[in-house]
Amino acid sequence: MSGVTAMLIDVKNLYKIYNEGKESEVRALDGVTLTIDQGEFVAIIGASGSGKSTLMNILGCLDIPTYGEYILNGTDVTHRSDRQLAHIRNKEIGFIFQGYNLIPALTAYENVELPLIYQGVSIFQREERVMEALRRVEMDDRWQHKPAEMSGGQQQRVAIARAIATHPPIIMADEPTGALDSKTGRHVLEILHSLNEEGTTIILITHDNSIAATAHRVVRISDGRIVADGTREEVGL
Amino acid sequence: MKLGQAVKMAAKSIFSNVGRSALTMLGIIIGLAAVIILVSYAQGQNAALRAYYDSMGTNTVQVYAYSWNSSVDVSQALYNYCQGLDDLVEGVTPNGQVYNDTTISYGSKTLTSQDWETRTTVYLGNDQYGLCNDFHIARGRDLSFLDVERLNQVCVLGAATAEELFSFADPIDKTITINGLPFRVVGVYESKSAGVNVGTNEENQYLLDEIKRRDRMILLPNTMTRYFNDNQSIEDYVVKVKSSDAIAETVTSLNGFLSGIISSDYGYFSVNSPQTYQNEQNEADAMQQRFLGGIAAISLLVGGIGIMNIMLVTVTERTREIGIRKAIGAERRSIIVQFLIEAAMICGIGGIFGIAVGYIGTLIVGKLSFGTILIPSPGVTVGAAAISVALGIIFGLYPAIKASGLQPVVALRAD
Repeated sequence: MSGVTAMLIDVKNLYKIYNEGKESEVRALDGVTLTIDQGEFVAIIGASGSGKSTLMNILGCLDIPTYGEYILNGTDVTHRSDRQLAHIRNKEIGFIFQGYNLIPALTAYENVELPLIYQGVSIFQREERVMEALRRVEMDDRWQHKPAEMSGGQQQRVAIARAIATHPPIIMADEPTGALDSKTGRHVLEILHSLNEEGTTIILITHDNSIAATAHRVVRISDGRIVADGTREEVGL
Repeated sequence: MKLGQAVKMAAKSIFSNVGRSALTMLGIIIGLAAVIILVSYAQGQNAALRAYYDSMGTNTVQVYAYSWNSSVDVSQALYNYCQGLDDLVEGVTPNGQVYNDTTISYGSKTLTSQDWETRTTVYLGNDQYGLCNDFHIARGRDLSFLDVERLNQVCVLGAATAEELFSFADPIDKTITINGLPFRVVGVYESKSAGVNVGTNEENQYLLDEIKRRDRMILLPNTMTRYFNDNQSIEDYVVKVKSSDAIAETVTSLNGFLSGIISSDYGYFSVNSPQTYQNEQNEADAMQQRFLGGIAAISLLVGGIGIMNIMLVTVTERTREIGIRKAIGAERRSIIVQFLIEAAMICGIGGIFGIAVGYIGTLIVGKLSFGTILIPSPGVTVGAAAISVALGIIFGLYPAIKASGLQPVVALRAD
């Protein structure tokens, strides 16, 4: 964990309401206030439908809140244009999804290269950074394989390489081990921990308590509200 | 994102899914080829008949007139009257022929009217004969006004006759004989059948023979009628008008004039225009073209719908991909540009293949149905290609614009 602590994520009274005002109104997030410091390893846990994925999507600028304030790395991202949000996602955040979300037509190398292309990195620097990221997850020997030619664990490692290729300050992982067996899951988790030791802030969404227990801080969500926030002992894992 | 990068990405996308790309192209290829082939077929359909009509001279009015009243010189009166119609009429000529048997010779070569193969028609006309009948001088000169006035024994040869009598020698200033009378050759007309391409089927070949027959001719000053037709006056005339719009008015004027000088008790006259048949033919052609054009438009539409369907399915399929791209930082613009280039490349390649298939198909259809080489009109080709490529791009782009406007999380959820 990094010695420097600075507030990276600061959300106040976040609401995500579907069908507001109708009978079928759903409050996926119901007034969430949360701060996350730089270098933290936070696990967000909760049952399915508790709103943890919605929270991650909003924190990752993949979705916009209905109400509330969100300051990311000192900038208010609540009212940003689609284009500005694309830049924020590109520079500040690396995503790891449960379903890997690699583009099937592209090779491992090309998938990892994609965020660098959108960032406008030159082709020579890209090659270096792509291979560096693939080496980091021990997938450099498979750079020309397509997703269909790789196991789930390998695909997820490529997805991690894609997330870290741009050196973002934050990595958000939504059930990254959910589709993997326990051994490969552990491997993925080890990679996340080592990234955290190098200073990257990790936000991990999971419903698996044993995985959450490896985090320094655990936030438990239920019915769109934070019901517990602290170390794993404090949260009661 | 740079343009070169977008092109690379689009190319990668096309080649990573060959089947889908090929299907999209197929829609364009079929639509485009169908349009090119059908329209070319329609245009080739009556090329032979049109060439035949053209060989008879365009924008002409045929006059047939005689009078037993010897005080009326129809030929002179008609000539003078037409000079006065100079805003409508370009020229007028007697259009007589020698009806008696003829024997034409030069040196050892002899052409007789008994021989059907080489039968040569001897025409009697004035200095405007060539103008009125669309004959153009290839060598030498046309008849002159003075040749007619002074009864000069000169002649102008049709291309085929010149070749038969002189082979490769220069006929100018040589003297031929017609039924023993000497005539000096002053000019040779261009061939009417050269460059006419009507195909090899029977009907077209018959028309081509008719066109070729018009090159077997000798033109004499019309005053020579006294030596050949027992001094009968010439009763056929051709009036060349300035444009097809002037035909109707000229016909009316000539009818009025002739009814004034030829009383029905002492003569007869009629005024006709082959243009009327030609116009009917053109009308029929146009109708057929509209019909085939309609079918072509439908096939283009069906092709367009095919393109639209595949593009729509493609992008729905790829909404998830668009979500991933957005999640890792693609701007909306980058995604739209990528899809635009992709659609343009697919449609462009499809368009090129479509044109190629259309041209090859046109060649085959031309060979099979007309026995000739049909070339599609560039206007139709470019127009049809532009329409199908535009359809592909519009339908390829529209869903991409829609999907790229979604929140990434919504696009990612798509399956």
